[in-house]
Amino acid sequence: MSSQVCSNPSASTAPLLPHTPSRREGLQIPALPACTFFLLRPSFHHKGAQTSSPASDPQADTSVSFLPHLEAKIRQTHSLAHLLTKYAEQLLQEYVQHQGAPFGSPGFSPPRLPVAGLNAPAPGHAGLPLQERLRLDAVALAELPPLLDAVRRRQAELTPRAPRLLRRLEDAARQARALGTAVETVLAALGAAAHGPRREPAATAAGATPAPVGVFPAKLLGLRVCGLYREWVRRTEGDLGQLLPGGPA
Amino acid sequence: MCSMDSCLCWRQSSWMVGRGKMRLPANFRWLLATFVLLYLLNQVNSQKKGTPRDLKCTTNNLQVWDCFWKAPLGTGRGTIYKVCIEDRPHSCQQLEKTNIKIPALLPGDHKITINALHDFESSISTFILNEKNVSLIPDTPEILNLSADFSTSTLHLKWNDKGSVFPHHSNVIWEIKVLRKDSMELIELVTHNTTLNGRDTVHHWSWTSDMPLECAIHHVRIRCYIDSLQFSGLKEWSKWSPVKNISWTPDSQTKVFPQDNVVLVGSDITFCCVSQEKVLLAQIGSKNCPLIHLDGENVAIKIHNISVSDNSGTNVIFSTENSMDGTVIFAGYPPDVPQKLNCETPDLEKIICSWDPGRPTALVGPRSTNYTLFESFSGKYVTFKNAEIPTNEKIYNFSLNFKELCKILFTVSPHSPTSFRVKDINSKAVTLSWRLSGNFAKINLLCQIKINKANSAQELRNVTIKGLENSSYRVAVDRLNPYTIYTFRIRCSSETYWKWSKWSSEKQHLTTEAIPSKGPDTWREWSSDGKNLIIYWKPLPINEANGKILSYNVSCSSDEETQSLSEIPDPQHKAEIRLDKNDYIISVVAKNSVGSSPPSKIASMEIPNDDLRVEQVVGMGKRILLTWHPDPNMTCDYVIKWCNSSRSEPCLMDWKKVPSNSTEAIIESDQFQPGVRYNFFLYGCRNQGYQLLRSIIGYIEELAPIVAPNFTVEDTSADSILVKWEAIPVEELRGFLRGYLFYFEKGERDTSKVRGLESGRSDIKVKNITDISQKTLRIADLQGKTSYHLVLRAYTDGGLGPEKSMFVVTKENSVGLIIAILIPVAVAVIIGVVTSILCYRKREWIKETFYPDIPNPENCKALQFQKSVCEGSSALKTLEMNPCTPNNVEVLETRSTLPKIEDTEIISPVAERPIDSSDVEPENHVIVSYCPPIIEEEIPNPAMDEAGGTSQVIYIDVQSMYQPQAKPEEDQETDPIVGAGYKPQMRLPIKSTVEETAAEDDIDKTAGYRPQANVNTWKLVSPDSPRSTDSNSEIVSFGSPCSINSRQFLIPPRDEDSPKSSGGGWSFSNFFQNKPND
Repeated sequence: MSSQVCSNPSASTAPLLPHTPSRREGLQIPALPACTFFLLRPSFHHKGAQTSSPASDPQADTSVSFLPHLEAKIRQTHSLAHLLTKYAEQLLQEYVQHQGAPFGSPGFSPPRLPVAGLNAPAPGHAGLPLQERLRLDAVALAELPPLLDAVRRRQAELTPRAPRLLRRLEDAARQARALGTAVETVLAALGAAAHGPRREPAATAAGATPAPVGVFPAKLLGLRVCGLYREWVRRTEGDLGQLLPGGPA
Repeated sequence: MCSMDSCLCWRQSSWMVGRGKMRLPANFRWLLATFVLLYLLNQVNSQKKGTPRDLKCTTNNLQVWDCFWKAPLGTGRGTIYKVCIEDRPHSCQQLEKTNIKIPALLPGDHKITINALHDFESSISTFILNEKNVSLIPDTPEILNLSADFSTSTLHLKWNDKGSVFPHHSNVIWEIKVLRKDSMELIELVTHNTTLNGRDTVHHWSWTSDMPLECAIHHVRIRCYIDSLQFSGLKEWSKWSPVKNISWTPDSQTKVFPQDNVVLVGSDITFCCVSQEKVLLAQIGSKNCPLIHLDGENVAIKIHNISVSDNSGTNVIFSTENSMDGTVIFAGYPPDVPQKLNCETPDLEKIICSWDPGRPTALVGPRSTNYTLFESFSGKYVTFKNAEIPTNEKIYNFSLNFKELCKILFTVSPHSPTSFRVKDINSKAVTLSWRLSGNFAKINLLCQIKINKANSAQELRNVTIKGLENSSYRVAVDRLNPYTIYTFRIRCSSETYWKWSKWSSEKQHLTTEAIPSKGPDTWREWSSDGKNLIIYWKPLPINEANGKILSYNVSCSSDEETQSLSEIPDPQHKAEIRLDKNDYIISVVAKNSVGSSPPSKIASMEIPNDDLRVEQVVGMGKRILLTWHPDPNMTCDYVIKWCNSSRSEPCLMDWKKVPSNSTEAIIESDQFQPGVRYNFFLYGCRNQGYQLLRSIIGYIEELAPIVAPNFTVEDTSADSILVKWEAIPVEELRGFLRGYLFYFEKGERDTSKVRGLESGRSDIKVKNITDISQKTLRIADLQGKTSYHLVLRAYTDGGLGPEKSMFVVTKENSVGLIIAILIPVAVAVIIGVVTSILCYRKREWIKETFYPDIPNPENCKALQFQKSVCEGSSALKTLEMNPCTPNNVEVLETRSTLPKIEDTEIISPVAERPIDSSDVEPENHVIVSYCPPIIEEEIPNPAMDEAGGTSQVIYIDVQSMYQPQAKPEEDQETDPIVGAGYKPQMRLPIKSTVEETAAEDDIDKTAGYRPQANVNTWKLVSPDSPRSTDSNSEIVSFGSPCSINSRQFLIPPRDEDSPKSSGGGWSFSNFFQNKPND
């Protein structure tokens, strides 16, 4: 199975500014050249064979044209995830700068406590089917914005004279929401269920740390949320990259 | 307390001691002492065995004494005690226990009798009881409540003093002990004073721990001491109360304490961690701290002198193997007292206050400083939280009555005026209107108007207006110029000035036009043909035009008529009128939209002036000062006009009018340029006509000429050059010509190019020609047929102009050449003549010097020598005197490489083979053909000398050979006849007639050498001589003084008598051999 895509640099390098608040703005699918045809990777279809989407039909894989706009959407979403990965890294650096020592010190590694309302990437995430991974990505990205907002509110009290950090946190919440929505759109376009079975509230609460009341736990929570944000957008970028032609097997 | 018996016996013994002092007999004393001792022992035994003893009384309330005693020995249950107190009714009580509560007794001694009844035996003890012997021991206090405020680490203790049981007011000292940890380490022991007031009172005491209470159990005990002034007995502390403790029950996940506290910078603070695991590390910020172990795994750290925190606080972290807990401490400063509080009202409706908060507290967010503003008139409080606003300015609304208003009038700072407008009143006045928010009806406002005009200084005008309620204000501004753009701004304050409001926005306004205030400045010029009069006028300045000038009206009038020309539109500022020879008055009127200006009049007549001279003037800066003598005939003003002299007619660039009483004028124009010649004409106005008074040419600034004078060589001679040049045009002169500089120097075209005319060069001659009318120059005293470099430059006061150079070659000087030839020739002739004379006069000396006499051959023993020698040795055949033709003797000076034969070669016609020293044997070598000269020596004949001169003898380098010789001079003295000069060796004495005849026959043929037959000499220099030992045979022959190739004058004359001495004389061989040594 092969893929052939006429080069369209504008599609792959479409500028996705961090301020893409709305779904409509963030997921504009640029038109592809008429010669574009895209064949999905077999691994995705084999593992995601439970979907009834025509795109997942092995017979359909042999068709010459597979939703040209879908590739553009995937490429665009991947670009967004790539961009947000860099932003998430900058956010984490900015965050630790304002928390005081020993935050940011090389030897400072607080335990990676679970966060209420947000799944940490499972160690076996890479072994899951791509569709499932994308679904988990979308769920996590949907859960991150309120947590990032909570971190921003706490930081607004703690470091009111760090406007850049506050702006980055605000942007991160908006961008996570946009990326999650974009991933859901890709999943929907692929015919997969955008939302899998929602986690049970009990399961969510199990093992989760209650909301911190002290400043130090709040700092740790913020650090953890920023780290998870970076982790999820990084995974999302990797998962979307596997959908692109030429991506890793 | 002691029993009465004891007291008695003590008293008794003391009495007896006292009696001892009465000087009893000694034996009696011993008896008495023994008796007393026995008695005492008996008494002690009796008491121990059978009477109540050790009565003690205590009290805890000062009202009841609790007395107890010890039962008699041997008694047990069933003993009945009868206690009686003297001086009290019904004072006896019977009881079976050993204590009794009795009401407090009055101060003083009281006798108490205790009678113990046991087994039908009785024993009585009597005690004296006094209050002083009673102990006041309060009851053990009881802690009612011990609570803790964990957030503040404070313990609250509550207890009852039970003061109702005490009859009097008493001071109570409470001692409280705080203990920590299970081991009950004493942490604090404090005293607390209270007063008993007759009622039960609950007391509170609080204590703040330096360590959070959550981390360790804390215990508290209390006791008291009643300091009753009315009680004279012993006062003792009560027992410690039972321990009360406080411990923390974990109710949340917070395990590090204190949580998020705000502390003062520099404080000491203790953090602790409640942990079930072993705490491995504690750190504040990035600094590790030593652990203080508490109960269990709990630990604490102590921080001294904590430093100020960042905005996000200082992190304190405790790490275990699997977890990390922490807290954040905010170390900051307390807020300073607000300084520079300033409140003002912009509208008398609200107050704006500002203050200086002082040192930052380093606390932000919820921990930032709160400010509360209290306004006393209204009694309002306003709280302001200094969260994130950098400026501490806040607006508060207060309702003020007029009385209050008056008190703060001095702090009125109105808002900036708004709705600022300008409206025309007339061409010189406008109305300003604006709004000022607020109700200023009861005060006056002081407003300041800023008026800006283009190219003019700013003007400020203050106006006082009455404050209005409706906020709309209006004021008129006059003394403005018509048709002028003004910019207005306004600001206001209260009349009692406190602070200006901000300026209003700018408002630009153009005032309306007015009629021109003056007529234009006019001048007239006659055309070149003298038929037309050209009228010039200048545009009116803006402050005189009072509007936009639309046109001009020009009219001319004479005594008969007035002629008006058509309107001339504004951009045109001249008009040409054809006039006859009559005198006319020309009028010019400027018109704008409002009206016409007053007319400007000028007369057409020009009065001639025959006495007119042209003068020169140079300006200063960009101005030229012209002065003139006052002329009373000039009734109206003077006019100075000027023009560029190089421009064509009419000459008019500008003009200036000055009053008739002036005697000078400064001409200034932007059009003036340095280096340009201008013509200035001064006109005087007389009887309505103008007369040219002075004509002046001048420069604003003189510059150096821009070109060099063009010069040519008119004539050239052998010693002079005539140069002629042309004048420089005025435009290129750029100043008044002051002269020329002429340089000349010798030089070719190629070499002079690189050499400038710098001063100081001596080879350059300069001629300064200050007569500017001179146009030729003759340069004299030059050298003929020489190239000269000529340079000519003109100069003004502005400097030297460029140079023009030329190379000229002067003509050849023939006389000089002739002289140059003749003089050396004449000198040579003179020298020759003088030399000849000298030689003639010194000929004898020359002869002696250069031609010394040849020694007399008669003295030569050559023949005898030869004979004797030949007789001895047949092998020596040298100098065999056989008749033969004379040899040709050639004396040469050769510098051969051969050491011996150096420069002499003997060429013989008989043996002409080349001499080879290597091939010739010494014996054969000496064979030299020799012909004795056949000369009559005794008859010296000059002719013979001459004949000798024809011989083949050639002398070479005689002079050089002679020089080292000193002997010939002596020879000259001894033989003056033959001493002068050289004589050919033909003066040998004639021995025989045959020889004589032969000599005569061959006299003409004896052009050869005659052997100087000096036998002694020959002998001396023979090959056997020491000097010749190392030489070959040839050298020997040459070395002979009589050798045919020797120089005869070298033979010293005295050698004939002293052969040996002649051997030490000079010889050719010596000469040649010594030469290298020289």
